[in-house]
Amino acid sequence: MLQHQINVTTHRGSVFQRRDFLRNVGAAAAAGGLLSWTDRISLASSELKRRHKACILLWMAGGPSQFETFSPKPGHANGGDTKAISTSVPGIQIADRLPEVAKVMGDVAIIRSMTSKEGSHPRASYYMHHGYLPMGGVKFPTLGSNVAHQIGDASSELPSFVRVGGRGQNAGNAGFLGVDHDPLVLQSASRPPQNTRPMTGADRYRRRLGLLDSMQGEFARSGGADVVADHRKLVEASSEMILSPRMETFDIKREPSSVRSAYGEGGFADGCLLARRLVEAGVTFVEVTSGGWDTHQDNGERTQANCDQIDRPMAALIRDLKSRGLLDDTLVVWMGEFGRTPKINGRGGRDHYPRAFNVALAGCGVRGGQVIGKTDAAGAKVIERPVSPKDLYRSIYTALGIDPDHENTSLIGRPIKLVDEGSAVDELFG
Amino acid sequence: MRCDSTRFFAAFLLTPLTAFLAAPAVAAPNASRVAAQVDRLLGEEVYSGSTQLAPVCDDETFVRRVWLDIVGDLPTPEHVTAFLLDTHPEKRARLVSDLLESAQYGQNWARYWRDVILYRRIEDRAVLVSNPLVVKLTEQLNTGAGWDEIASGFITATGDVREDGATAIFMAQDGQTEEATAEVSRVFLGIQIQCAQCHDHPWDRWQREQFHELAAFFPRVGVRPLQTPTRRSYQVVVNDRPEFRNRGNSNNANRRGSPEHYMPNLDNPDKPGKKTRPRFFLTGAELSFGTPDADRRGRLAEWLTDTPWFATAMVNRMWSELVGEGFYEPIDDLGPDREPTAPQAVERLSEAFADSGYDVKWLFRTICATEAYQRESRPRRGPEETPMTANVPQRLRGDQLFNALLTALGIDEAATRGFADRNASGYRGQATPRLIFNAAFGYDPSVQRETVSASIPQALAMMNTPRINYAVSSNRRSMLGRLLSSVREDSLVVDELYLRCLSREPTGDERAHALAYVESVGKRNEAFEDYLWALLNSAEFVHRK
Repeated sequence: MLQHQINVTTHRGSVFQRRDFLRNVGAAAAAGGLLSWTDRISLASSELKRRHKACILLWMAGGPSQFETFSPKPGHANGGDTKAISTSVPGIQIADRLPEVAKVMGDVAIIRSMTSKEGSHPRASYYMHHGYLPMGGVKFPTLGSNVAHQIGDASSELPSFVRVGGRGQNAGNAGFLGVDHDPLVLQSASRPPQNTRPMTGADRYRRRLGLLDSMQGEFARSGGADVVADHRKLVEASSEMILSPRMETFDIKREPSSVRSAYGEGGFADGCLLARRLVEAGVTFVEVTSGGWDTHQDNGERTQANCDQIDRPMAALIRDLKSRGLLDDTLVVWMGEFGRTPKINGRGGRDHYPRAFNVALAGCGVRGGQVIGKTDAAGAKVIERPVSPKDLYRSIYTALGIDPDHENTSLIGRPIKLVDEGSAVDELFG
Repeated sequence: MRCDSTRFFAAFLLTPLTAFLAAPAVAAPNASRVAAQVDRLLGEEVYSGSTQLAPVCDDETFVRRVWLDIVGDLPTPEHVTAFLLDTHPEKRARLVSDLLESAQYGQNWARYWRDVILYRRIEDRAVLVSNPLVVKLTEQLNTGAGWDEIASGFITATGDVREDGATAIFMAQDGQTEEATAEVSRVFLGIQIQCAQCHDHPWDRWQREQFHELAAFFPRVGVRPLQTPTRRSYQVVVNDRPEFRNRGNSNNANRRGSPEHYMPNLDNPDKPGKKTRPRFFLTGAELSFGTPDADRRGRLAEWLTDTPWFATAMVNRMWSELVGEGFYEPIDDLGPDREPTAPQAVERLSEAFADSGYDVKWLFRTICATEAYQRESRPRRGPEETPMTANVPQRLRGDQLFNALLTALGIDEAATRGFADRNASGYRGQATPRLIFNAAFGYDPSVQRETVSASIPQALAMMNTPRINYAVSSNRRSMLGRLLSSVREDSLVVDELYLRCLSREPTGDERAHALAYVESVGKRNEAFEDYLWALLNSAEFVHRK
C-alpha cells in the first residue's frame, strides 16, 4: 500500500499530486496503521526535499574544447600548449585554464567519454538540449521545460524555468508541454526584467486584467482558440510575477559585495549569481549561457578568454550552493553541443568533434571527485565507458528524482518518454 | 545607385544569348487564372470529399489581413469603412493591387528580408548594414525589380556596407566564405547544403565536395574595416590577385579574400586540403581555377536564379507567410529529397512566378487571389490533419506590431521616443525606437512559426511600458482624449475603439459588455482607458487572423 503510494508520487510530476502526497501518506497510515510518527516525518521531509530539487545548466554555446577544459593532453601534439594542473582531488588533473574549478573538484564529476554523431551546431545543440534529435511533427520540450513540468512549483509566482543570456541555437522551448513551461528569457543577468511596474495602482491593474480576460471570447471563437489560450496564460504568468514581492530575486545588486566579488565580473558571473538567487527562491531550472566556444581559429587564445569568463563563477557557484546547503538538491551541469577536433587545424583552431567530448556535473547526489570514461592518448576516441547524450539525459533526470521513462503525450496523442533509450550512468551516484 | 547600374550591365553582358531567346515574350501570366489553377490543384492533391474547408472570410477580416500582410500596418477606421461600403465585385483584388502600389509595401517586406538575413548574423556589428539594406530593398520592391535581379545584387555585391545594403549577406556572415555560401543557398534556393560541409549525409544527395564547390564561387570576397577620420564602416572587398603559392585551407580566415577555395582535409587539418573548382551543384556548370571574382559571382547569380528551386524557394516562403503554412516545412529546407504538400500546386505557382519575370508583386497578387489565402483562420493544424484547409492566425512581426500601435493610437513615428526600453540589447548605435522595439518583439522569420512563442518580457512591455500607457490615457493630446471629448455617445466610442484596434465593429455582446464595464466603473475616462488598454493587450490585436 505504502509502496504503491510512493510510486504513484514519484512517477507523476504534477504539483497538485505532490501536495496531496502528505495527505495520502496520512490516509495510508491511518488505514493500514503501519506508519510510526517518525516514519511519517522522514517521508515528509524527503518529499519536501524533492520538491526543492533544482538544476542549473551552464551551457557553453559553440562547443567547448575538451582539451582546454577537462581533458588536457599535455605531452601529445594534439594537446597544444595547454598544461594539466592538479586539483583538490589527488589523481585528477584538468586544464590549467580552470584553476578555480580545480579547487572544487571534490564536488565535481567529469565525464570524459561523451560521444555522439552530431557535428553540426543546430542539430547537436538541439540534441544536447532535448535528449532527442529534431523530428518532423513532434515539438519536443527542451530539458528545462521538462524539468519545470515535472518538479516545478506551479504555485510559485516566479517562473519555474529561467534562461539567462545568449542567442544559443536551437535551445528550444516547452514544445508540446505548452507555454506554461516556456522559459522566461532574460537577455542579461545584470538587468532584472523590465516593465515590471504597472502604470496604475494595483487595484486598477487587477481590474484591467479582469477586463482583458473577459473580452477575448470572440477571437477564440473565430479561429484563434489556441493563441487566445496561450495569450491568457502568458498574461497571467506575467502579472503574477510582477505583482509578487519576490521580484527582487532578479536583482543581483542586492547581494553583498563580498558575494559579488566571489563570483567575479562578466555576464556569465552575473548569470551564475542570478541562478543561485533564483534557485534559492524556488525556481526549478536556470540555464546560463556562455558564448564564443566555436573556436575554429585561434583556439588557444579564445578558449583562454572563455575559461577566464567561466572559471571563477562556476567555482563560486558550487561553493556558494554548498555553503547554503543547496548543493545537495541542486544539480549543476556544464556542457555544450559537442567537443573539438583533437588535431589543431591550419588556423590554430579546432573544428567540431562529437566523437569524444566532456560534460561536468556537480550536486544533487552526484559523487564529486571522480572521472568517468577515458579517451586514447590522442584524445581521438573513447576507449572506456562511452556515454551517449541519452545516457546523460537519463542520469540528469534520475539525479533530479524524475523518472526518465515518464511518458508525456504529444499534441497528436502519441506517448513520448522523457528519454527513449540509454541508461543512467550509475557511477555518478555511487 | 551608380554601382547598381554597372553591375546590372555587367550581368547583362554575362548573360548567355539563350537566356534572352528563352525569355518569355508574353506578358505575365494572369494572376487570378493561376490562383484558380493552384486552388484546383490543391483540391486534387490535398483535399478529399470529406475535407471541411473553412469558408472564405468576411470583408472585415480580409481588409485587416491584407493590410498587415502587404503593408505591415493596420487599416484606419476610414479605410475599413470605405472597403466595406465598396460594392465593386473585384474589390479584394483591387485593394491588393492598391496596397502593392503604396510605398509601405516595399518597406514592410524590406524589413522582413532584413530579419531573414540579420537574424542569422554571426557578429553583432553586422547591424551596420541594417538600414542601408532596408533602404535599398524598399526601393527595389516598390519599383518592381525582379526577384532574380534582387538576388543577383546580393550575390554580387561589393563596397561600403553603409552605402549598399546588398552587401548584407557577406556582412552578416562576417565575410566568411563557407558561412556566406550556406546563406546564399538557404535564402535564395531554400537548400541547406551546408549540412554537407563537414560530412556526406547518408540521407541527403548533396556531397561534401558539392558544398565546397559552391563555396569556390566566393573565396575572393572579403570584409574589411573601413576607417576614415569621420567614418567607421566595413566594406565587401574583392581580392583578385593571382595565387603565387599553394596557400592551403586558410579559407579566407583573415577575411581578405583568397584566390581559390580549399576543401579542408578532415583527417589531416594541417594539410592544405583539396583545391576546389567553382561548380554549381544543381546544374554541374563550372568555371576554371583563376576565374576572376566578378565572373565567379556573376555566373553563379545567373545560374542560380535560373533554376526551378530559386522560384520555388520564394513561392514557398511567401505562401507560408500569407497562407500560414508552406508547401515545404521548414520554409528554407527544400530540395529534391523533400516531400512537399501538393507538389503540382507548388510547381505550377513556381513556373508561373518564373514566367512573370520573378515579379514579386505578381506573386502577392496571385497568392492573395487564392481561396486558400482568403479562407477564415483556424488554429494551426496538428500533423495528422489535412493541410491548408484554412488560413492560420499569425503573430505580428516586431515592425508590424509597432506600426499597429502607432496607427491604433494615432501617433506619429517621429514622436515615439520611449516606446521601448532604451537599454535593450539589439541594434547598437542605431537605437531608434522602432529597431529596439523590433529587437524585443521580432523573431527570425525563417523558423517554424509554432516554435516562436511570445514571452513574458513581451507581455510586460505591452502592458506596462510608460510611453504606451501614456498614449492610452485620455489626456488632451491623445487619441482617446480627443475621441472622448468629441463623441458623447459611449456606444460610438466603443465602436471606434474596436475599429481602430481590431479593424472591425464589436459584436452586440461585446458592445454590451463594454458599456456595462463603463457603467460599473463610473468614471467614463478611466473606464475607456482600461478598455483601450485591454484591446491593445488582447491576443486579437497582436495577431492577424
